[in-house]
Amino acid sequence: MAEILHVTGLYKRFGGNEVLSGIDLSVGAGEVVCVIGPSGSGKSTFLRCINLLEEPSGGQILFKGQDVMKMPASLLHARVGMVFQQFNLFNNMTALDNCVAGQRRVLRRSREESVRKAMFYLERVGMLPYRDARPAQLSGGQKQRAAIARALCMDPEVLLFDEPTSALDPEMVDEVLSVIRTLKDGGLTMMIVTHEMAFARDAADRVVFMDAGKVVEDAPPSKLFVKPENPRTQAFLARTMRG
Amino acid sequence: MPNTFFGWIGFLLEKYGGMFLSGAANTLLIAVVGTVAGFIIGLLVAIVRTIQLKRDAGGLKRAALGAAKLLLNAYIEVFRGTPMIVQAMVVYYGASQYLGLNLPAMTAAFLVVSINTGAYMAEIVRGGILSVDAGQKEAAIAVGMTHWQGMTGVILPQAIRNILPSVGNEFVVNIKDSSVLNVISVTEVFFMSKSAAGTYYRYFEVFFITSVIYFILTFTFTRLLRLVEKKLSGSASYTVYGSQSSYQAEIEVKRDPEGEA
Repeated sequence: MAEILHVTGLYKRFGGNEVLSGIDLSVGAGEVVCVIGPSGSGKSTFLRCINLLEEPSGGQILFKGQDVMKMPASLLHARVGMVFQQFNLFNNMTALDNCVAGQRRVLRRSREESVRKAMFYLERVGMLPYRDARPAQLSGGQKQRAAIARALCMDPEVLLFDEPTSALDPEMVDEVLSVIRTLKDGGLTMMIVTHEMAFARDAADRVVFMDAGKVVEDAPPSKLFVKPENPRTQAFLARTMRG
Repeated sequence: MPNTFFGWIGFLLEKYGGMFLSGAANTLLIAVVGTVAGFIIGLLVAIVRTIQLKRDAGGLKRAALGAAKLLLNAYIEVFRGTPMIVQAMVVYYGASQYLGLNLPAMTAAFLVVSINTGAYMAEIVRGGILSVDAGQKEAAIAVGMTHWQGMTGVILPQAIRNILPSVGNEFVVNIKDSSVLNVISVTEVFFMSKSAAGTYYRYFEVFFITSVIYFILTFTFTRLLRLVEKKLSGSASYTVYGSQSSYQAEIEVKRDPEGEA
């Protein structure tokens, strides 16, 4: 399996506060990696460092062997897509234009091609009927599905999800998770920070447990959820799986 | 000679109607040019002031940006901190005494009002940018947009909608405050009124007409701005194509996406 992301010794400090204390991780093409862990463990920061929304304080991140710090920013962002907890759809545009804007401005695609691609992905996430709606007119689940379509339109090689369902009402969580499952079937490489343990268990190829800025355990879900090795993982799972 | 208030009004309008009209036209022109140019200055200043360099940016880049930001801050502070009437004198006579430039009064007027408004607009736009959720900028970065693309395509369109009331305020202020330009003999409506009043010593009647003109100008434009604001808020409804279960039946694009792209 070809390696797409390779992270070594990643550090991140906010002032005197060390949030990431040396993270090593490798993600292969087509792999779905779920990152779990308690709040404040650095999961989101880790994800945001990968596409440089936060600048790492130390360490190295390689995207297909290239140092991301040395890649042109717009190239990196076009190839490593991001889906946010708060959706962050462009509020001044319709769902369709949200999907078109990046293709036109960043990839310099023609309008026809951009629209065609946008329609294709909007249909794939079930948002085609709502293409003329503005974000304020959509529900949370719809917004998140449109945001996923927007990210897919850039033809990313890796898609990062930062707690994609944490801001959603419970009944909307499934519609978003099922979209992510179809992406897995399509072979897209994904890193997903999530609190949805059931989803992580059946959708992930690998689950990474983070605590206090470190990767504590990294194993297939069949192992990590059933027979976790580290006591901290055991304690965390005992707490979260109780319900 | 007329001997009633309305008699004088009629007499003055008949005799100086053309002057009032051309004065009003100049006032309006100065206010429109000054506000539009000031707005553009404000946007550009705000775009530069919000640039953030990557940590590995070179020292030269860093120094250039630092110097630019310092200059822009100085510009804002100086032009907000001195009266426009004084700025007019300094620019107009400074240009003629030290640069040998005899600026036409209207040119000096455009220049002074634009630069003065720009300083206020820069702060208004900054406030507008702060009012836009930080996630919008992150999303623009995350799809690969540059600072300029994110600003012009995503952040500023939203910021401008939020600051439109303040921009309208600036416009009204400019219609009224351009009257101070009479000190450099700009033939705006106040200057015209002074000349008209002086001939017959009818200050009250002339400036009564002048105040009506100012009010008509400002009132018309505040109403127009309301309309623009409403239009910018976008339509309240949208089309849902097909039903949720059978939308595949309908794949036609109903509108041109170029508007936003």
